[in-house]
Amino acid sequence: MKAWKKALAGTLSLAVLAACGGNDNNTEETPAGNDNGDNNGGELSGEIEVWGWNVAAASMELAIEGFNEIHPDVEVNVQDIGRLDLYDRLTVGLAAGGAGLPDVVLVETDRIDNYMSEFPEGFLNLSEYGFDQYEDKFAQAKINSMKNADGDFIAAPWDFGPAAVFYNVEIFEEAGVNPDDIETYDDYIEAGIQIHEATESQLLPIDISQDDAQFRMMMNQQGTYYFDEDGNIDIASDEAVLAMEKIKEMRENDLIANVDGWDGTVTATVNGRVATVPFGVWYAGTIMDQAPEQEGNWDIFPLPALEEGGNRAANLGGSDLAVIGATENPDAAYAFVEYFTTETDPQMAALEEYGMFPSLLETYEHETFDEESEFFNNSAIFRTFAEISEDVPFANYTSDYARAFRYSADAQASALLQDAEPADALREAAERIANESGRDINE
Amino acid sequence: MTTKKKTTNILKKIGLYTLLLIGVFISVFPFYWMFIGATNPSGQIFSIPPNLTPGDHFFENLRNLNETVGIWRVMMNSLIITLVFTLFSVIICSAAGYAFAKYKFKGREAIFFALLLAIMIPYHVTLIPLFQLMADLGWLNTYQAVILPNLAYPFAIFLMRQNMRSLPDSLLEAARVDGAGEFRIFFTVVLPTMRPALAAVAIFLFMFQWNNFLWPLVVLGSSDMYTLPVALSSLVGLSRVDYGQIMLGTTLSTLPIMIFFLLLQRQFISGILGGSVKE
Repeated sequence: MKAWKKALAGTLSLAVLAACGGNDNNTEETPAGNDNGDNNGGELSGEIEVWGWNVAAASMELAIEGFNEIHPDVEVNVQDIGRLDLYDRLTVGLAAGGAGLPDVVLVETDRIDNYMSEFPEGFLNLSEYGFDQYEDKFAQAKINSMKNADGDFIAAPWDFGPAAVFYNVEIFEEAGVNPDDIETYDDYIEAGIQIHEATESQLLPIDISQDDAQFRMMMNQQGTYYFDEDGNIDIASDEAVLAMEKIKEMRENDLIANVDGWDGTVTATVNGRVATVPFGVWYAGTIMDQAPEQEGNWDIFPLPALEEGGNRAANLGGSDLAVIGATENPDAAYAFVEYFTTETDPQMAALEEYGMFPSLLETYEHETFDEESEFFNNSAIFRTFAEISEDVPFANYTSDYARAFRYSADAQASALLQDAEPADALREAAERIANESGRDINE
Repeated sequence: MTTKKKTTNILKKIGLYTLLLIGVFISVFPFYWMFIGATNPSGQIFSIPPNLTPGDHFFENLRNLNETVGIWRVMMNSLIITLVFTLFSVIICSAAGYAFAKYKFKGREAIFFALLLAIMIPYHVTLIPLFQLMADLGWLNTYQAVILPNLAYPFAIFLMRQNMRSLPDSLLEAARVDGAGEFRIFFTVVLPTMRPALAAVAIFLFMFQWNNFLWPLVVLGSSDMYTLPVALSSLVGLSRVDYGQIMLGTTLSTLPIMIFFLLLQRQFISGILGGSVKE
């Protein structure tokens, strides 16, 4: 009878022992001091871990070789983690004081403000390490989002999402629409009606109740966003209302394919349900991946302007690198971030291999930008995107971006699906954001 | 009269079977679609009209999947974590349920009430403190960090206690009179009669741990320690998604659950039948 007791006790204590056993993380290597005098390489050593997702992670992986030519003793270890998973882990890790986090992390531009305000000590102040010297090398619209309230760099700018309209050449030809004639959203809607009559295709996909990408691009074009430069709520401004009215006009003419999320957008693109997709430059890679048989059938034209002669440049998406404040090797981590974001080579490799579009201005002089893409109807699409990115107005994402995004999508749904007046719907969104964030609404 | 009755019977049967067939179709089709996706290249999934025949990309998808997430290693991680967890958790939860049901001790009701409250605490509330604890113990990125925190699973304890209550006290007393110790009673008298309940709880715990996502995601740092759901989730990036790989990964991840369920289902059914015959 007592054998049972012993057996059970034995198993339990074994389990506890096993539990205590596998503790072998972070064997910190201290390689022999490599102090042979030159102030460039050889000083830094150790191991750094970098988190990113998908092609962005792969792009950073590409840069390791070049980085190791300068700093041979730093071992860089890139982890590919799903985008939203990365944020979950980052948030939990920062809340636990930096436990379990890597040294360098990829963060989308529109999320940085939020992390900066939630965790002021979470990321390393890059200005203290001398990142200010690169200030003029990037598109200005990008730079402003990298800084904290004191004007210090908290993240290093990387990829940019200049937006344009991807269009299906075959459908345009079938409907007899010339993309060069589309200069304003009125032209765009007119073309859409013509296309919808001549073919079965609608004009563009929007996930009406979940995503307001089109609305954001149109606000950005006009130099505004959910919030203005001072952080006041601008979502009910004349510009924003005008943008939402245009979108509503598209809906009333049955030009919007109401798709379900990312997968729905891709499906509609590939099977010809829509003739155009206004999106950031990163969508080029998606079309090439998911519809390889449609080579030569896609091309781009710049976003239409809201008024004749108005600005046609906007940005959608983009990401940046930040160094975790609790890193044990800040010098090596900073060196990697500095190399990756400010040198031309890794930027060009990321563009050529994975279509990650740099915000480092000097890369635009590279001949790759003038290469004609066979997939995109032999157009030099990267040149067009480079030109667009120089005219992108600044967007102030702020720490309340996520809230504003949610209410903005709600407003879009009530304007388009429940037939509310855009001005009223946006006004309501502005008031809700004000309620939650305590920010002022621009009158 | 009788022929008329027969024909209505046959008609009833036809109606019933068509209904069942429709039900079967609705529940099996998603799996079939998943299998189609797993054997085709990514772009095929979006074609119109939908492609309903298996393709020849199975091995290519498998190779790609192994390259991107190391699928065999990830399967091993998931299996080890889930099996070890299920084994210990079933023992602990049934022992606890037995104690709550059959022993009288001070504060029993209070402790049980606290346990019921614990079921109601949302998982996210405990996430950060638990993570901090694992970090302080130096257990991040280890199996035990995933296995240990949930071993005493309140709902499973509750379920076992409810089942144990129906156990006749006279059975236990008879065993005690025969001179069996408490542990012996538990393992040789109580547990065998509880087979259906044990199987149900085991399936429940297995599925819970196999599909568990947020906690393993947060505590397992490096990709060679990932469990299946975490690894599959890492396939979904910002703009490029290989649906062929994802479909194959989900197909692989449903297999162990099916096998485990089929294995225990027999216990389940024989247990129920055994009970019904006795009474």
